Amino acid sequence: MAQEARLPWIIKYRPKRLDEVVDQEEAKAKILEWLKKWPNVPKKALLLYGPPGCGKTSLVEAVANELGYEVLEMNASDFRRKEDIEKVAIRASTMQSLIASGRKKLILLDEVDGIADREDAGGLEAVAELVKISKVPIVMTANNPWDPKLRVLREIAEFVEFKKLRKDDIIRILERICIAEKLKCDKEALDYIATRAEGDARAAINDLQAIGEGFGEVTLERAKALLRPRDKERDPFETLKLLFSAKYAWQAKSVLNQSQLDYEQLKLWLEENIPNQFSDLEDVSRAYEALSKADVYLGRIIRTGDWDLLAYAIDLMTAGVSLSAKNNPRDKDRWTKYSFPQRLLLMSKLKDSRKIRDDLATILAQHLHISTSTAKAEIIPILRAIFISNPEYAAKIAVGLGLSEKMIEMLAGPNKQVVIMHYRRLKEEIEKKAAETIMQLQAKAGRTEKPEARKEKKKEKSQSKTTSTDLTSYFKK
Amino acid sequence: MSKSVSELLWAEKYRPKSLKELVNQEEIVKRLMKFVEERNMPHLLFAGPPGTGKTTAALALAHDLYGEDWRKYVLELNASDERGIAVIRSKVKEFARSKLPGDIPFKIVILDEADNMTADAQQALRRIMEMFVETTRFILIANFPSKIIEPIQSRCASFRFTPLKKEDVVSRLKWICEQENVVCHQDALETIYEISEGDMRKAINILQAAAALGEVTVSHVYKVVGLAHPKEIREILNLALQGKFIESRDRLRELMVTYGLSGTDVLKQMHREIFSADLKIPEDVRVTIADYIGEIQFRIVEGADDEIQLTALLAKLALLGKKISSMKG
Repeated sequence: MAQEARLPWIIKYRPKRLDEVVDQEEAKAKILEWLKKWPNVPKKALLLYGPPGCGKTSLVEAVANELGYEVLEMNASDFRRKEDIEKVAIRASTMQSLIASGRKKLILLDEVDGIADREDAGGLEAVAELVKISKVPIVMTANNPWDPKLRVLREIAEFVEFKKLRKDDIIRILERICIAEKLKCDKEALDYIATRAEGDARAAINDLQAIGEGFGEVTLERAKALLRPRDKERDPFETLKLLFSAKYAWQAKSVLNQSQLDYEQLKLWLEENIPNQFSDLEDVSRAYEALSKADVYLGRIIRTGDWDLLAYAIDLMTAGVSLSAKNNPRDKDRWTKYSFPQRLLLMSKLKDSRKIRDDLATILAQHLHISTSTAKAEIIPILRAIFISNPEYAAKIAVGLGLSEKMIEMLAGPNKQVVIMHYRRLKEEIEKKAAETIMQLQAKAGRTEKPEARKEKKKEKSQSKTTSTDLTSYFKK
Repeated sequence: MSKSVSELLWAEKYRPKSLKELVNQEEIVKRLMKFVEERNMPHLLFAGPPGTGKTTAALALAHDLYGEDWRKYVLELNASDERGIAVIRSKVKEFARSKLPGDIPFKIVILDEADNMTADAQQALRRIMEMFVETTRFILIANFPSKIIEPIQSRCASFRFTPLKKEDVVSRLKWICEQENVVCHQDALETIYEISEGDMRKAINILQAAAALGEVTVSHVYKVVGLAHPKEIREILNLALQGKFIESRDRLRELMVTYGLSGTDVLKQMHREIFSADLKIPEDVRVTIADYIGEIQFRIVEGADDEIQLTALLAKLALLGKKISSMKG
């Protein structure tokens, strides 16, 4: 008994069977189906997301129990480095090949959103790699699926939502434990604990243990005395909802204090969702004007390092945006389906294409003795016209200027495949001719020189003939 | 057209190599040839509109002074691309250090778009010019000589390049077509001249793109101009002004990704579009939009985020469009 009392209740009362898991029927069905079909599933991994303490890990363990899987569990504190993950993958796959006797395996990666925050670079890439090579099902959990760092997982894992538990569900869980622990429980006390937990069963159970263990009873009085107010972080959707519906400036401003979003992320979520919430064009425009000015302050902070300006930026992007609904104030409370900022998905693409364009402009600037900005404004548009209208000729220019295939793609747009086809053919032709020329030169050299000297000579010749400028001028005429 | 496996841009391919080949700016060419004869020259300032032969004259002068090896003796800088006067100073210093064989005791620094430099940077440039005067001559190139500070102007022999005459541009274009075996129509060449406003480089670029379509005809010339300036920006403006804000925002994002445009690029193109007759809006509204665009460009220069600012602009335009149509209705 004394021994058992030291075990955290959240572990002691973890559900063993599926029917012991409270609520989350939809998620249950999804996971069961996915596991039964595995590996014949569109995505080889699952990511279960939802607020803390809503039963993600419990459900995985219960399902595994039910279907006869052995769970190889890892959580944020276990491993984070790439080598660790690779070791796991190898261990799991080799064990799997010996299962003739043993049980089926399942890898559980807990709290993957914790990986991204740490310094260990490549953690999430390693997870993606693990999913690719693993011969056993992989289930991950996360609190905040909108963390931009989890982007890589969106492509490889199916996302399953867990709902925040209702207060009644949590009271039921607490009552069950009270009975098992032979605790005398006050109804109001359990209600108080459950309310405060805001859907987090783990927090509620921990609270119950703190109040009740060793006392034999749980009273409202002691609950109130022992439990201090708890801060909860709101997910992006709750954050937006609260921000848009605020009636007072202070309400809107307080939103960032308890949000999973920081001001930079909030900026992007607002950029995406202002027109979803507000319907009147003047309101929309007003809200964007506030966001735009907030953004100017953020830019100035970066330039000047003056963090005092942050306060004004936040005022504008919270209260400024929220109170913009003057023509249609009812929009503030309208139920709105918010979307994930498309911007985050496009960002890396944007960066890549800008780099290609800058490199292209540098080549053109040198070729034509002009500035890169003139190259961008004057020459790239003309090249685009040529690349769109005459693929074969475009390919010759690409060879002549030494453009990369990425640059060709950017210039040719819908024509890119044709231009690249011609471009590769031309390159082959050049290489063939170059090889022939070298052979002839070697043959000539061979007649007059000794073998050793000839070898050296060959090297020199082939080097001098393979630089691209030499080649183009050689074959041009 | 080119039968070979590679092709260059005609603007470079047919750039005159020597002063003798220059057909325009006769007076200037005569004086530059004198410098070649004397094997000496002062600092020079070439000023004039784009595409009138300033860079060509500078490169040809260097070619005639030093012969085929001229590149070794010339440092080309573009003020718009160099990061600050300190970089320019160190590049010039490095370049001026090595001694020269041959009978010409100086090297040449060609500094293009010098009028893009701030007055402070130009002061520093003046000191650099003095510091290296024994071993280096500068050729400064500018569109607007008035933007070059007085002390620099007084140290340079100044040359004003005038806009090219129509017959000069047209005959040069015709000559290029002959070299390339391209069929061209006289009215098409005249159209190119009108569009390029006497800018030879622009004219040759349009010529090459029109030739890529087959013959150089008036309709091909217009087709090139259409292709070169994508319609997307105009469509985005129209969508916004019709109040279709979300649609215009999504199109803008797509455009920025496909073409790798920066916020400033987009704003400049928008600015061009708002004065086009194809955009059917009241005249005074064009000015209002110009003001909006200018404000947004200012915010971006201040360090704000491209996309947020452009999105805010589109929202303003959508509202403006609604006001216009309600006035009409």
